[in-house]
Amino acid sequence: MASKKSVVPFGPQHPVLPEPIHLDLVLDDERVVEAIPSIGFVHRGLESLVKKKDFKEFTYVIERTCGICSFMHGMAYCNTIESIMDIEVPTRGKYLRTIWCEMSRLHSHMLWLGLLADGFGFESLFYQCWRMREQILDMFEASTGGRVIFSVNQPGGVLKDMPNDMLRAFVTKLEGFEAELRKIADVFLNDMSVLSRLKGVGILTPQEAHDLGAAGPMLRASGIARDVRMTGYGAYGDLDFEVITSDECDSFARCDVRIREMFQSIQLIKQAVDKIPEGDIIVPVKGNPNGEAFVRVEQPRGEAIYYSKGNGTKFLDRMRVRTPTFANIPALLKTLEGCQFADVPLLILTIDPCISCTER
Amino acid sequence: MAKFMPFAGTMLKNLFSEPVTTSYPAKPAVYPERSRGHVEITIDQCILCGLCSRSCPPRAITVDRAGNKWTINRFDCVQCGYCTEVCPKKCLTIVPGYQTPGPDKKEATYEKPVVETEAAPAGGKPVPNLDLCVYCTLCAKKCPQEAINVDRAEKKWELTEDKCVGCGLCASNCPKKCIEMK
Amino acid sequence: MAGKDCAVIEISTGDFLMKVMEMKTGGWRLMQAHAVRIENGYELSYTFGMDYDWTSLRLVIDENEEIPSITNIYPAAFLYENEMAELFGVKIKMISIDYRSKLYRLDEETPMKQL
Repeated sequence: MASKKSVVPFGPQHPVLPEPIHLDLVLDDERVVEAIPSIGFVHRGLESLVKKKDFKEFTYVIERTCGICSFMHGMAYCNTIESIMDIEVPTRGKYLRTIWCEMSRLHSHMLWLGLLADGFGFESLFYQCWRMREQILDMFEASTGGRVIFSVNQPGGVLKDMPNDMLRAFVTKLEGFEAELRKIADVFLNDMSVLSRLKGVGILTPQEAHDLGAAGPMLRASGIARDVRMTGYGAYGDLDFEVITSDECDSFARCDVRIREMFQSIQLIKQAVDKIPEGDIIVPVKGNPNGEAFVRVEQPRGEAIYYSKGNGTKFLDRMRVRTPTFANIPALLKTLEGCQFADVPLLILTIDPCISCTER
Repeated sequence: MAKFMPFAGTMLKNLFSEPVTTSYPAKPAVYPERSRGHVEITIDQCILCGLCSRSCPPRAITVDRAGNKWTINRFDCVQCGYCTEVCPKKCLTIVPGYQTPGPDKKEATYEKPVVETEAAPAGGKPVPNLDLCVYCTLCAKKCPQEAINVDRAEKKWELTEDKCVGCGLCASNCPKKCIEMK
Repeated sequence: MAGKDCAVIEISTGDFLMKVMEMKTGGWRLMQAHAVRIENGYELSYTFGMDYDWTSLRLVIDENEEIPSITNIYPAAFLYENEMAELFGVKIKMISIDYRSKLYRLDEETPMKQL
């Protein structure tokens, strides 16, 4: 019997996604044959604003690209400017940035775990994840003054210092957080109902992950050990850590990688607090950037690439952000091919999509 | 080694414990000291240089020099705190407490009390000691009003008096310390 | 120092596809592609990565010059190329999934083409 194909539109409004992405799913019965993405519902033209805001002011614009990795957007943009102008950030500034980066990773992964729990219908687990995430946000508010947008980065360093007793208080809080995380992780990694939704779903082979340019936990869950933090930007060069990978290539592996990364983040923060030196946190920036620079950082969602081109005036010629979701969309389409229709929302979630980041 | 209902313990505990949420607004929210809520101005110290208004990413601040007024649209403000960074007199601060929502975007205007000696605002005008000056042009670059014009080749230092607001940024940035505010 | 480690190799339109093909056979992955508007044309950068190494191919083209798509070699490039075509007006032929200016919902056409 010849099979009849049907096209089901998915999104842009869908209960599982807080952000708009639209997919045209070509279905053969319940099986997805092909998926065609369409984005562009939240394009704000932030990149073209760079011609109207001077390069220091633009820090505040770029960190509003996304509400989750806002710190890293600001930091990486400042890194491009520092790289063009050959500015060396004071060591304490680098450590503070690293600590905030890892805190961003913690709250981003916690948010993702909550959304994943919501995605497979485990409401109470979702609430627990987000309650725990609140502790990290409170720490951000106490240290930077903002819960989502931190506004502490400037080319040359950071604007606010964290006193050492605040850092130690954070470490104590994180120890409590870690204990709670262990309980939650047990549910995600061992619960029968959770496993039945995640195991063996959405296989992305290492070869495909490499060819399609996947990034972040998506890539590492396919067994490829690549984490830009290993290149030692910021204070990462002084810290001791390993790339976390998994060989299972499925949705469960992505969950597992992210959970282990959270434990690693807590260890990294502890190490950084132990090693943080005293000193300045910012150096003054004189003159205007002239030249270009590529910078990459490891965001919670994966490798992000930043490019700035200055022309010697206070306005840059071009600022470009390639976010990890942009790189993960082709990989997502690959995992969708051949999956069951009911697994589509879950698979979209496993790349940890951030559409606002993607469209800027 | 899949487990059966590992979450049950947490759920049962939640049934018999206090809620983690608070009953806002009956119990007011507590903001930490560094919380960026809204911008406050010590208007007496303000010299109306306009640097904040030109640096504000959403352009929420307007400065009326002729009318001695400093205005902020608190609904446009994104609480980034850049104005407090650039303010040469450090008369802007960002303090806890968010703007209450409302049906209209309202502006808040602060009027600077008119001082009798109006001709010489705040710190007066910069006067350079041209014997020491190296014509580095740093003062011209730092001037928020673009009131200073320096020509290195011709060894010329010019001040457009009308534009100058007497903020003193040129004097504090001068590497030779040859500018005096008189 | 970070940011200076990405080598930029200037190439011409003639050997563009060949260079990309070399990258592909060399096992490089496509990291990103973007356009910069310059006087009378565009400066396109295609960034490739292998492990922690990365390098960029730099192509300078005229405003009306048409360039071939690399989606045949790197299927994942379709989003980058659509973005270039839509925001800057770079003329790219034969993109595998061509959104024809419908990738982003834009008020005006090619907003980043203005100098």
